[in-house]
Amino acid sequence: MSLGTYALRRSGGLLLVLLVTSFLVFGLLYLAPGSPLAFILGPRGGTPEQIAMVTEQYHLNDPFFVRYAAWLGDILRGDLGYSIVYRQDVSALISGRVGTTLALVSMAAIIITVVGIGAGTFAALRGGWGDQLTSALAAVGLSTPSFVIGVALISVFAVGLGWFPTFGSGTSGVDTLWHLTLPAVALSVASAAYLARITRAAVLEESGREHVQTATVRGLAPGRIVRHHVLRNSLIPIVTVLGLTIATLIAGAVVIENVFALDGLGSLLVRAILQRDFAVVQAVILVLVVAFVVVNAIVDFLYTFIDPRIALGSRQ
Amino acid sequence: MFTPKTMFAAASIATAALLLTACTADDTTDTQSGLSLDLENLATTTTPGTEPVDEVKWNLPYEPMSLDPIFGFNYAENTVTANLCESLVRMKPDLSTEPGLATNVAQPDDTTLVYTIRDGVTFWNGNPLTAEDVAYSLQRQVGETATSYFASYFVNVDSVEVTGPSEVTVKLKQPDVLFAQAMGTAAGAIVEKAAAEAAGEAFGTPDGGLQCTGPFSLEAWNSGRSIQLAANPGYWDATLAPKVQRLSFSFIADESTAVNALRTGDVDGQFFYLPPAGLSQLENGDEVTTTYGESLVFWTMITTNLTGGLADERIRQALSLAIDRKGLAKVVFQGAAVPATTLAGPGYWGYETDAFATAFEEFSADADLEQAKQLVAEAGAPAEPIVLAVQGSSAVHEQTANLIQAAGQAIGLKIESKVIPVEQFGNLYFDENAREGLDGFFTTNYGNFADPLDVYTMFHTADSHNYSGWDGADEQLAAARRTTDPAERAELVIEAQEHITKGLSWIPLAYEPVTLVQNTRISGATASFAYLYAPWAATIGGVK
Repeated sequence: MSLGTYALRRSGGLLLVLLVTSFLVFGLLYLAPGSPLAFILGPRGGTPEQIAMVTEQYHLNDPFFVRYAAWLGDILRGDLGYSIVYRQDVSALISGRVGTTLALVSMAAIIITVVGIGAGTFAALRGGWGDQLTSALAAVGLSTPSFVIGVALISVFAVGLGWFPTFGSGTSGVDTLWHLTLPAVALSVASAAYLARITRAAVLEESGREHVQTATVRGLAPGRIVRHHVLRNSLIPIVTVLGLTIATLIAGAVVIENVFALDGLGSLLVRAILQRDFAVVQAVILVLVVAFVVVNAIVDFLYTFIDPRIALGSRQ
Repeated sequence: MFTPKTMFAAASIATAALLLTACTADDTTDTQSGLSLDLENLATTTTPGTEPVDEVKWNLPYEPMSLDPIFGFNYAENTVTANLCESLVRMKPDLSTEPGLATNVAQPDDTTLVYTIRDGVTFWNGNPLTAEDVAYSLQRQVGETATSYFASYFVNVDSVEVTGPSEVTVKLKQPDVLFAQAMGTAAGAIVEKAAAEAAGEAFGTPDGGLQCTGPFSLEAWNSGRSIQLAANPGYWDATLAPKVQRLSFSFIADESTAVNALRTGDVDGQFFYLPPAGLSQLENGDEVTTTYGESLVFWTMITTNLTGGLADERIRQALSLAIDRKGLAKVVFQGAAVPATTLAGPGYWGYETDAFATAFEEFSADADLEQAKQLVAEAGAPAEPIVLAVQGSSAVHEQTANLIQAAGQAIGLKIESKVIPVEQFGNLYFDENAREGLDGFFTTNYGNFADPLDVYTMFHTADSHNYSGWDGADEQLAAARRTTDPAERAELVIEAQEHITKGLSWIPLAYEPVTLVQNTRISGATASFAYLYAPWAATIGGVK
């Protein structure tokens, strides 16, 4: 498949996914009880006249398909909508927060890659106590919810030792890195543990292959064998898992952003859901879906680099 | 609040004790010791700080939705706006009032209020404050479809007009004592007309900016991240010239994160509206000082209808008599609350204090199970269980419901609780359908100024908060709202209070003081409820 066809097919798939998700998201929100009125009218409720006016102004009583069509139309024109709770454009709300989530997820992805692949390879090659210790740690990491890890990290490293700040995403640059370290670690523990397991299995499997044994028998340097024969061939399952976990990190960030009071898309989404701020919920989920699909596309693309025998767009 | 989530977290942390250093271990040892608060003698101020400070970092329980004063009717919004936008009348820390942007309020007759606007006041941008700005700020809250959260104070306003170079006259359709007092809240906050008109609906949002006259100016609102205020060098009132150069707000919603931030000094202070689960942790440390302030906030159970199990007044009285309010204050509020006997407690007695105090003494917060049982026997226990709505994931709601359930059981009333998710709970306040099948729900509520009438007005049948349609005090409430003479008004309010407290369409449970936490490096924040409407941060300074 040529690169052009590939890109075309990918974007076609993306649009389809978006359309289906948008319908689901819109429909589910529409079915869910509650309305943004409570938040627009404020804690003192509102007079019947006010309620009627706000309902009319924001078309809260329009039929489902009318609202869905209007919303789709706006999206196609590049208008993500208007948050009636914040009295702001949704695009402004999102653009202010996307950076934090991106930084958080990137840092977590780096930690997952380094720690996961490192620990998995170590466990597989070292064997014995090293393997057992790594596997035990991985089991603990996998089974502990990220917010628990977050709270524990804050207790120890922020409150107890005072090495890191307790909340927030800092001002910029190094300060942001410093602020995001604990959240990124909390976010990455479970995924790193999972990746370590996958890596360990893949490396073990590759190590047992004939060509590796042949290489060993032929007296090639162990380092060379590991790099060229074992790791390289284990990369396909590792990259697949890595891609999927990074995509799901975006969802996991929702919890972590709340614990660390970060100004990311996750905390925005949570508040918007609580406030029935439809436009914001839909737009954020849309952004998350796009990110998910894009990461998957990148993974697909990487396959052809790792193993040139794999054709573009196929997973065989 | 102890949400299930934080409880689970706490349990998990305890089991993972190996991971933890001594810092959390010794905190758990004496959480049972009582809090150091004297509920009879709540604070209004804290010792003013003397040293200049570059920056004070304050936390809000959530990000404000708007800083436009007319949408400021909630904790986070008002905490910020109080330092930015000033009202015609200024609320002092002891909840009494003094002249604000109006130097004088004349009342030539009962339906006319003439405000003399202070000279020499400028907005942050240097433009002088004019009568036009004042008239505009009030006018935009008048009318049936006005979106101001304070619209109920403006229902009797006929016109607002500029009647002199620095004079604004408000004409009322009928005398209304609540309107005059509301001018000391955000309802009376003055914004610049030109700026508000230019920004339109975006006014007060991160995009639209704000233009007021307060001791701090709005420097930046980074949506989702922080709100930055700067000391206003041109502020007219030298006594409230800020010693703090920058005041920045964060929005930590997670309570344990907020408590941790306070303990480490990442945040310098916060006002809590419900005592946080980590309150004793904060009190036991020496990083912060905790002050309990005079407040207008109360915790109550609202009857939603007079057709179900709570229809009979005697049943409501019996239930109220059976509730262990002291236990509730101690257990649910960790001791940081006072058992309530009426809805509007002592904090509200802004006039005729003796008369209100005498009337107050007639009511008791003590449980009396015998009398309660007798009342149930007289009225006959309802066949259907009484259903109370509980806000999901709120420990205060849940524990209160448990306590009331136990009280009901003791006197032969069957009470059930129904959990309503937090995202739907708000609908109970204005959507009749959402209240269907419920006999009552819990809420914190507050009046805006020191007049019990402000709270009791919600019991007039015409008020949107009177969900059950209880009509036992309409006459007195309407008359009190028209009565400008304080002694006469107090008499009417006391009469209404008696009916309301016996009728119990809302059952008073507890008075909640303001919980102010400040880092020991600073001092001076207003400790009372006035922090929602008057510049509470202008008195903050460094401690040597």
